[in-house]
Amino acid sequence: MGQEEDLELYRSRLLESLDSHASRCLRGVSDPIQVYVNERRVGELEGAGIGAMLQVQCIDHIDTVQLRTEEGTLLGGLVAPEHGFRTDRLRLSADTIELCVHNTSQGGTLSALFMPAPSFWSRAWKSIAEAADRLVARRPDTALVYGMRMVAFTQALLAIAVVGLVADRVTTWMTAERTPSPVIQTASLPAAPPAGTTRLEQQLDEVARIQTKIGEALASQQNGIVQLHQAVAKLSSTQESVVSSVVMVKEEVKEELEKRLEAVGRETDRTTRHVASKGRVEQEQLEAAIHSLTADNDRLSKEVAGLEEHNQALKTKLQAANASKAVDPNPDRLLARQNDPGRQPLQLADSLQGSQQQPFLFWVTFSDGTSQESIDQWVNGMKGHKGAVNEGWQEVRIVPPPVPPDRFLEQIRGEKIVKAARISQ
Amino acid sequence: MPVTRMQTMVSKSQTMSDRTATASRLEEVVSTPDEFDQVVLQALPMLLDRAAGSTKRFLRETGQWNDDIEHEKFALRWGSEYLERFLVCGRTEVPCRPLFLFDSLVAKQHSKPEPFCYHPDLLRPLGRFLDGLAARAVISRDALIALYHHAYGWSPGEVIAVTGLNGVESQRIYKNFRRWRESGWQRTMDEMGLTKVELAELGNQQQRHRQRFNSEAERLIRVAQTHYRKSEPNHYPCLSRSQWGEMFTQGYGCDYRIWHLALCLDCMQTAWGLGSNGSTIGEKPRLELQVRP
Ligand SMILES: [Zn+2]
Ligand SMILES: [Zn+2]
Repeated sequence: MGQEEDLELYRSRLLESLDSHASRCLRGVSDPIQVYVNERRVGELEGAGIGAMLQVQCIDHIDTVQLRTEEGTLLGGLVAPEHGFRTDRLRLSADTIELCVHNTSQGGTLSALFMPAPSFWSRAWKSIAEAADRLVARRPDTALVYGMRMVAFTQALLAIAVVGLVADRVTTWMTAERTPSPVIQTASLPAAPPAGTTRLEQQLDEVARIQTKIGEALASQQNGIVQLHQAVAKLSSTQESVVSSVVMVKEEVKEELEKRLEAVGRETDRTTRHVASKGRVEQEQLEAAIHSLTADNDRLSKEVAGLEEHNQALKTKLQAANASKAVDPNPDRLLARQNDPGRQPLQLADSLQGSQQQPFLFWVTFSDGTSQESIDQWVNGMKGHKGAVNEGWQEVRIVPPPVPPDRFLEQIRGEKIVKAARISQ
Repeated sequence: MPVTRMQTMVSKSQTMSDRTATASRLEEVVSTPDEFDQVVLQALPMLLDRAAGSTKRFLRETGQWNDDIEHEKFALRWGSEYLERFLVCGRTEVPCRPLFLFDSLVAKQHSKPEPFCYHPDLLRPLGRFLDGLAARAVISRDALIALYHHAYGWSPGEVIAVTGLNGVESQRIYKNFRRWRESGWQRTMDEMGLTKVELAELGNQQQRHRQRFNSEAERLIRVAQTHYRKSEPNHYPCLSRSQWGEMFTQGYGCDYRIWHLALCLDCMQTAWGLGSNGSTIGEKPRLELQVRP
């Protein structure tokens, strides 16, 4: 074969494969979908899963998002604007994936939400609800999506560890010596108003509260733990990204700590060096703590209890530190500072917020003649809950949607049975 | 005869005017995703040539071009890669002018630090084979798992043992192997432009000069792996034996193990024997390139 022909053959083969691309987008039902951000793999969405969600936070802007099958077929994706939101809804046969990218000057976040076909829901709901009831800390009005709750749950554990870790670092620096040198304060902590301190305190409070609940649920229900384990295994994609994040966080904490200590050491005297060595010892202890988080369930539950205590202690320390008025008001920012710019996805920062998210409230009126039954069906379809009725407006609570509220309302309004929708009463 | 010739001329001029029409249609605004699909799918050949052309220009400007078929194929391959992404992402960009969007997308790719893995040795059949495997592994889990087979000749069971996977993950490995055998391998070969003749020739070399073949393969696969590891989640660095050990014994980092060990010969050596095959293994694994799936 001549080279010309060889090349022409190659070209037409490439074209053929591009052409057939559109028709090739069939996916095995149970296969996870691979998620790529800026052409780096960041995780998976469990295709057969129940409302699986993946949240990714990047230090860089998110330029592109791509979804691929395990075979490598590009299912969909988007190009994000440098600033602001970009959302996309992708249909894969009956299932839907919602992508939402938000770029700000601080970096980008991606939420990807897999929503299985409604028929799947009606089949799976019963067994899921049953299992969920046994597992989660009971708050009847928020018995929402089992899968998402689990995500929040596993991520909450880790976020607690990380917040504890970071806050700990701060308090160590502040309280290690009776009179911390001003250099340390300015180097590691921007001054913040006392209100900020209170906020951090509140957040830690909240974290401790969640922990208590998790701890209770775990400790009191040995039986539930076995099922929890199975459920976690099912959500292996989330589990995996959480677990690998442990490694990542560990590495980054180590590097960041060392770097900071180095910087501090350059500027200050023995006092700080003492802090440094103390920090290292503590770092090792914390590493050990993180490792045990990933061990078996038994140890997991013990660890939760331990963490809770740890956080109580932290809170006390924090209150003591109040006087110095030098705590960063925002734990998320502390988290973000764990990263160098240019280092990419930290998948945890968002999850803290995720775990504390309030249900999303909105009000709707329905088209004339809509039966109560179809209203209930519609609400169930969103995994939502009905609230009060006021002058014909029905209050609905759902898990916060992955898209901005305006856009969400827009979608709601597009539904057949909905006449009008709004957020405020 | 004159009739036939007339027909040829007519169809040719038609093609020419079609092309011009297509091109100008691409410069106009499309406002819905469906319209985007319709306009772009009609223009695939033209867009492929355009992307290959600018890749060629990029290679020239960066001193990486040579006038031969290997380089032409390389430019075509990346052109089609860009085009595929454009097809999927572009429809979310409406309203837009497809041609300008496409140009900017390609330009954006080329402004990245290392847009692709270029090495003259990777353009020859053995290099193209390895480059193709590694490039595919980045976007396809099937190909990633297949790397274990192609590099060491392992079966699914051996892969599971070496990487120390649990039940759920094991099932996936079998699936990955099956799909790769059924279609993934052939598709990758096609997309790399490896012909039957070239593949047969690789098989021959392997049989006649096994050692030389494998050491050459090792040299080239290192070049490719180093490049494509950059697409790993970036918290997957190389680890020490004790760090790997921890991960294996405590059972976390499943994805970490699968990804990094497939794409790093050195870590495979380091972590050797930590999986469930720990008690029964002999020597450390050596690269034994398999051409067939
Ligand atoms: Zn910006
Ligand atoms: Zn390595």
